[in-house]
Amino acid sequence: MTMEYKTSHRAYAAWNYRQEIEDLNRASEQGWQLVRGGCFFSRFVKNPDVRYRYQMDWRKVEDMGRYIETFREQGWEYVSSSFNGWHFFRKFYDPALKEEDYEIFTDRESLQAMTRRWSRVVMAIGAVLLAVALVTFIQEIRTPNLPRLLQTLILLAVCVFLMRGGLLMRSLGTIRPGDNTLLHAFLLFLVVGWAGVMALLILRPDFSIRQYTAELSEPYEDNRFAEFEVHYPDFYYLDLKIDADAPFVFSIVNEAGEAAYSVTGTDIDEENIRIRLKRGKYWFSASCGAGVELESYLN
Amino acid sequence: MKKSEPMSESYYYILLCLAKGANHGYGIMQMTEKLSGGDVTIGSGTMYGATSNMMKKGWIHEIMSDEPGQERRRLYQLTDAGRDALKAEIARLRRMLENAEEV
Repeated sequence: MTMEYKTSHRAYAAWNYRQEIEDLNRASEQGWQLVRGGCFFSRFVKNPDVRYRYQMDWRKVEDMGRYIETFREQGWEYVSSSFNGWHFFRKFYDPALKEEDYEIFTDRESLQAMTRRWSRVVMAIGAVLLAVALVTFIQEIRTPNLPRLLQTLILLAVCVFLMRGGLLMRSLGTIRPGDNTLLHAFLLFLVVGWAGVMALLILRPDFSIRQYTAELSEPYEDNRFAEFEVHYPDFYYLDLKIDADAPFVFSIVNEAGEAAYSVTGTDIDEENIRIRLKRGKYWFSASCGAGVELESYLN
Repeated sequence: MKKSEPMSESYYYILLCLAKGANHGYGIMQMTEKLSGGDVTIGSGTMYGATSNMMKKGWIHEIMSDEPGQERRRLYQLTDAGRDALKAEIARLRRMLENAEEV
């Protein structure tokens, strides 16, 4: 007989883990038995002849043998553990038993210890991300640009979501959590937002003209080079290093020949020159009466 | 001296069940239910957490059974520190009970 399997991608917020247990019990009733529990991938096998009750525990297990034995002693079969620390157990359904006989936490202290363990870890992750968000925020103030602004906002949203989750998990038992709609909306926002950041980063001109260096020995005039395209209006930053024997003009010009940025001198060494560029094609342009050594980097 | 915190019911019953000798998790659970007339049960999650913590505190330790038919089965045994903790808790409970009777 071939076994029939299915995979579920349903995600649950940790503070809704009770909902997950209920859904696993319902699936078992309908003949789908969990064989591997996971965060985004739960695997089921079709077997309508048995019925189980499920339980979930979250902890870092120091002695897996003792852990599994402690559960087995009371009729719990170990199913699997997920990468993010959840352990799944099941027990044959017995209609003679009451619902509370399937509880694995039988006092308030041990349930709280579990939810607080989870909460502590998630709060710590939230705090680290908050620190990262703070760093990107400071960078954003100093050299504002669109991708980083979006990145900062996403990081802040993740922090708020995690810390809110940590608080919800801590107060499980006294409050009833909502459904998973917010989690799903948040995951969607995360995926779309991050894809947006990536797209904006890829479209920045530094990917096409990462760095431009030239060493010219002849005098020249209005020499256009390093063509690049700006895909969205934003602040861009230029690092410029020029060493010339005679006065030179360096500019960034658009298709109409208008200079978005222009500088004159004999030598210059500047970083993070803020230039606002609109959508369109641009060139670097330089005029010099003598030899010049030029190094530029735009991002 | 730091005043010891009240013990949770589960901790108390686990220690109590080990007072007369080593026992395994299932034995502790059954004995607890019998002693408490079914009022106190110790689920697997609570049992693992409590035994782990009490081992860290040094109140109990793990031994392997050498009884025939039960070889290599994990048993928990009370340590001297565990016995002291249990005695202290019983004294605390007794005092509370006596106080109630005085009022």
